[in-house]
Amino acid sequence: MDINLDHVAKLAKLRLTPAEKETFSRQLPSIVEYVAKLQEVDTSTVDAKAYLTDATNVFRADEPTTAQSERDAAVAAFPKSAGDALQVPGVFNH
Amino acid sequence: MSEFLTVKAIRDAVAAGTVTAEEIVKNALAKIDLEDPKIGAFLEVFPERALAKAREIDAMKARGDVLPRLAGVPVAIKDNMLLMGEKASAGSKILQDYTAAYTATVVARLEEAGAIIIGRTNMDEFAMGSSTETSAFQKTHNPWDLERIPGGSSGGSAAAVAAGFVAASLGTDTGGSIRQPAAMCGIVGLKPTYGRVSRYGIVALASSLDQVGPFTHTVEDAMLIMEVIEGRDAHDATSADITDKPVAELLAPTMKGLRVGVPKEYFLDGMDPEVRARVEEAIAVFKDNGAEIINISLPLAPYALPTYYIIQPAEASSNLARFDGMRYGTRAPGALEDSYLTARSEGFGLEVKRRIMLGAFILSAGYYDAFYKKSLAVRNALRQEFDEAYKQVDVIIGPTAPGTAWKLGEKSDDPIAMYLADVFTTSANITGLPGISIPCGFANGLPVGLQIQAKPFDEMKLYTAAAAYQAVTDWHNQLPQA
Repeated sequence: MDINLDHVAKLAKLRLTPAEKETFSRQLPSIVEYVAKLQEVDTSTVDAKAYLTDATNVFRADEPTTAQSERDAAVAAFPKSAGDALQVPGVFNH
Repeated sequence: MSEFLTVKAIRDAVAAGTVTAEEIVKNALAKIDLEDPKIGAFLEVFPERALAKAREIDAMKARGDVLPRLAGVPVAIKDNMLLMGEKASAGSKILQDYTAAYTATVVARLEEAGAIIIGRTNMDEFAMGSSTETSAFQKTHNPWDLERIPGGSSGGSAAAVAAGFVAASLGTDTGGSIRQPAAMCGIVGLKPTYGRVSRYGIVALASSLDQVGPFTHTVEDAMLIMEVIEGRDAHDATSADITDKPVAELLAPTMKGLRVGVPKEYFLDGMDPEVRARVEEAIAVFKDNGAEIINISLPLAPYALPTYYIIQPAEASSNLARFDGMRYGTRAPGALEDSYLTARSEGFGLEVKRRIMLGAFILSAGYYDAFYKKSLAVRNALRQEFDEAYKQVDVIIGPTAPGTAWKLGEKSDDPIAMYLADVFTTSANITGLPGISIPCGFANGLPVGLQIQAKPFDEMKLYTAAAAYQAVTDWHNQLPQA
């Protein structure tokens, strides 16, 4: 199994060290080979289902319920803020 | 105060007034202070908060108020559960400075019931691991043998109960992370049916698999915790309405007439022969006490583990995308993309990176159908196979893990050997079914766990069978001397 580590690392938003690359180049193919055992199972008569519960479309009223204290704590947990404004790096280059 | 080893004993003594909640909490804090340096179960204890809550309970008692169900019972929570105002790091460097902005439903329900949250316990980073060794902060040692791992990923919560620091703790189980450490630490661990317990306020690993459950010494105690934490929560759309909640007082443990399925696939050639012997002896106990032993076959059971190692990393890679240093944790310097890459690459440990990489690969163009979609089909087929089996049996029993606790460091460089520790537990997560691990003896001085599984939402069968086993055996009363 050929795995393009640079491509996968880009998808995963990870910057791998040379040592990590070396480790994963050995380990990931053997894990993938192990999970590929599933190809042995005949699944022609079953559906692929992401969830096995009977619940569908569970809705609740769109009403704000968060307490002010929770709101303040969420702002406090944000790594960078100025007063009530949350700061993030710019998305576009100037 | 060594008589206060169970939730029930503490609860009843506090209610009767023979001991105060403050005395119980002080005793637990003193024991943790003295003995946890060699175990490493806790990442942090909350002495002030715990003592304040204990005094509230004692004040209620003094006023003559009716005490809630778990009044005065100290409980430890896994580090991936939020308690507002306290740190929750999920065992990861990327969250080491995160302070919870709200409280998880299970934790809030425990506090409402009078339980006292005493601290947060060590875990594998983001619950990825089977030995608690991938924690970014410390190793946890098995109370039965300090050179060995406690199991994982909820190893700190398991060790805290096994060492007698608390009578109960909470863990999360995505592929065996409650049952496997319970087995390795010689205690009870329950993975409830998917949907039984809310995950609101729990750091998600794999959302279609994760469940919260208790560690205790007795089945009755597990029920007492479950009564409080289970049930519908508007904040978790996957949580179910439970119309018929089991009640500990109504438990009537019996094996008589119980149809016990023993799948041949649960006994592997490579497993520890001593573990196998203990499980066979436990099956004999069921037979001697009136259960009907039925040999069954689950041909797809061996595919549960590879199915798990597709679904779990796929979901984990998506869930962990939120950890980029923007909203929580440490913001890395630089422009946006650089900041993401630095925060994630420095914040995540090797096992987490391995699984994120694996998940990203499995979900990538060209591989999605062959791996991810295929695994969802096998998952559904496996569930159908279990549904079929439960037409002829009430419970399915076998070993919780193929071996006992291994030495620290022994499997750290071999991910597949580590993953195989979950070979018997992942099927319950894949299919959503409940499973419990109870102590069933020792192999070379180390605890062995018996796993009992049942139909979805049929926890009452698990409790009945497991409590009946505890009624005629003494394994759960044995404590480590380490």
